[in-house]
This record gives sequence, structure tokens and C-alpha cells, in this order.
Amino acid sequence: MTDWAVKGEALFKSYGDNKALSGLDLAIPKNKIVGILGPNGCGKSTLFRMMTGLVKPDSGTIEVLGKTPGWRTNREIAYLPDRARWYPNHSVRQAFQWAESFFPGFEIESAVKLARYMDIDLHLTVKGMSRGQEARLMLILCIARRVPLIVLDEPFSGIDVISREHIIDGIIDFIGEREQTILISTHEIHEIEGMFEYVLLMDKGKALWSGDIEELRAQHGSLHTVFRSFYKRSVITNGS
Amino acid sequence: MDQKEVSGISFQIDFSQPLYEQILNQIRSAIVRGEIGLGEKIPSVRELARGLHINPNTVMRAYQELERDGLTEKRRGQGTFVTSSSKRVEAFRMEVAKEQIHTFIEQMKNLGLTWENVRAYIDQLLDDDKGGENP
Repeated sequence: MTDWAVKGEALFKSYGDNKALSGLDLAIPKNKIVGILGPNGCGKSTLFRMMTGLVKPDSGTIEVLGKTPGWRTNREIAYLPDRARWYPNHSVRQAFQWAESFFPGFEIESAVKLARYMDIDLHLTVKGMSRGQEARLMLILCIARRVPLIVLDEPFSGIDVISREHIIDGIIDFIGEREQTILISTHEIHEIEGMFEYVLLMDKGKALWSGDIEELRAQHGSLHTVFRSFYKRSVITNGS
Repeated sequence: MDQKEVSGISFQIDFSQPLYEQILNQIRSAIVRGEIGLGEKIPSVRELARGLHINPNTVMRAYQELERDGLTEKRRGQGTFVTSSSKRVEAFRMEVAKEQIHTFIEQMKNLGLTWENVRAYIDQLLDDDKGGENP
């Protein structure tokens, strides 16, 4: 089925004694902004690495855009890993030129437009950037790509509120113009929660809840409340 | 609860409730109460999405519903405007009022109250209110 951006069944992955994924099922619909949420170590990053073919599941199946992850599907994914960095000597413009020659689907005009929305000067050099500016640059390099799937792993970590708002404005100006699925993992939901259309809540390598976020709100309240009640419950059930 | 103002319309967004209904209901009330005047332009989907930090698709759904209500109309290349028909706004106000009165009556019936009981109770409450204002 190609109605799903990502579909996984009974995914298991261990690193030694550490179970990163323990029976994860997911079916993420296409063309939505999706929040992949959960505490540190819940398996979000392992899932992302699996989607990009960087790790293979011990068992279970995963499909990205209807295919098994690999170099072919990676051409269709823009992936921002956690704590991503860029070449310190590049200016923003050089980074864009580099990306244009190496990243499939990279649109330099879109990148320049995004840089303006996100308040990034094209002449700025990476080594002279604040953490927030570099994070914004990394994000632009991802979302300026015309690819069906964008995967952002903790794009807000270590970024101040103003930068986060710039990033969200940039995303808003972009969606609707193209058909894209954007997966965002984050544990700082405050500024972004209004942007999600679909959420997957994970804990201990499994899905706790997934679905339309408006339904989640109608049934369980705000994401903050959900976090508190869901995760407390899972701690209790696992502890007993 | 976040209070925000976008192009002169104030919104109170509560992230523990569905967002689509909140946007829809708050613009509906702003129109019905006259806070946005007849024929006035309302913010574009994108402006409102940016102002509230809400997904443009969610805002768009609310805008489509407003158009179905007959409260707004899109003008090609110019944006979305409140209807210039005060009749339409008045009709919408009555529709909503009727709907709520029906719900209210149903609820009172479920409590086993007759219309006479309810009316007597409302009169008493109104009297009490007046008494409070002018002791």
C-alpha cells in the first residue's frame, strides 16, 4: 500500500541488552505534519535510522513510501539527524550551493526564501553562528528539498524560543505549496503542538497511541496532560 | 490558554480542545457580535496560521466551514471577506440561538422539568440578578 508514508509491523531492535524497539507498529498517513513524541530513549531515533536504512530491524517489517528502506528511498527523504552540524568554513550561500549539487530535490530559491523567513543572513559563516542559527540552517537544508518525506529528529533541541518561532513560521509558509509528509520528533511541544495533524506517542520502543491529534485532544486533552497520564500509566503497568 | 491577536481579531486557543472548532467558533462569534464588520477582510489562512502557530490545513478547514455558513466569501485574488449581508449574519445568529435553545429544552426535559417549571426558574433568576444590581 502506498497510502502510507511509513508503515511498520512488529518492529524489534536491540543493542546488546538494550531494547530500542520492542514490537513497534505504526502506519503514518501521507502529506501530514506528524509528531513522533515520547521521552528520551523511547526509540524515536532508532525508528528514524531504520526508516533511512541506517539500521535494520532484528525482526518485523518496515516500508517507507511503499518500499523497503535503502538508497533508492533515501533519495526521497530529507533527514535531519539529532545534533546535526555543518562545515564550519561555509557561508550560508556556500552551504546552499553545496546542497544544490549533492542533495536530490534541493531548491536553492526555496532555501533563500526560507533563510529570509527564518532570519538567516546568507553571508554568515557557520563557525560564527549561534547554536540556534546553525540549527535553523540545518533545517533549511532539509526542508528546501522537494521530496515526499522530511524527517526532523529533535529540530528544536538547544534552540531558543525566538528561533523556534522563526522555524515554525518557515514551515507554515512552506506547507500547502507541496505534497509532503513531515515527521518531527521533539520533546519540546509547546510552540509546535498546533502544527501537528497526526501524532505517534512512543514509550519503551512501542506505540502508546497514534492517530489524528484533534481526536486525541477531544478524547484526552492537551499533549501535556496526555504526556502526564499516558506515561505515568505505562510506568505503573511496566512496574507491576 | 493562549490569548493572541491576529489582524484585530482576538483568539483564545486552548490546546486541550480541538483547534478547528475553536477557530471556527471564535471567528463566528466575532462576526455575529460585529467585532469584524460586514464586508471586512479577514486574515488569510497563512496569516492566521502564522499568528496562532497552527497548521494551515486546520485553519483552512475552519475557513471552508465559515464559507458554508454563508458568513464569508472568497474573492479571487483578494482574499476572504465577511459577507456584506446583515440579513445573512442575523439568520446565522438565529440558527445558532435556536439550536442552543433546543439543546437546552432537551436537557431540561431530561431533568423531568416542565416548561412552566423552567420559565418560573428563569424569571426568578432574572429577578435575583436585578436585585443584586439595585439593592
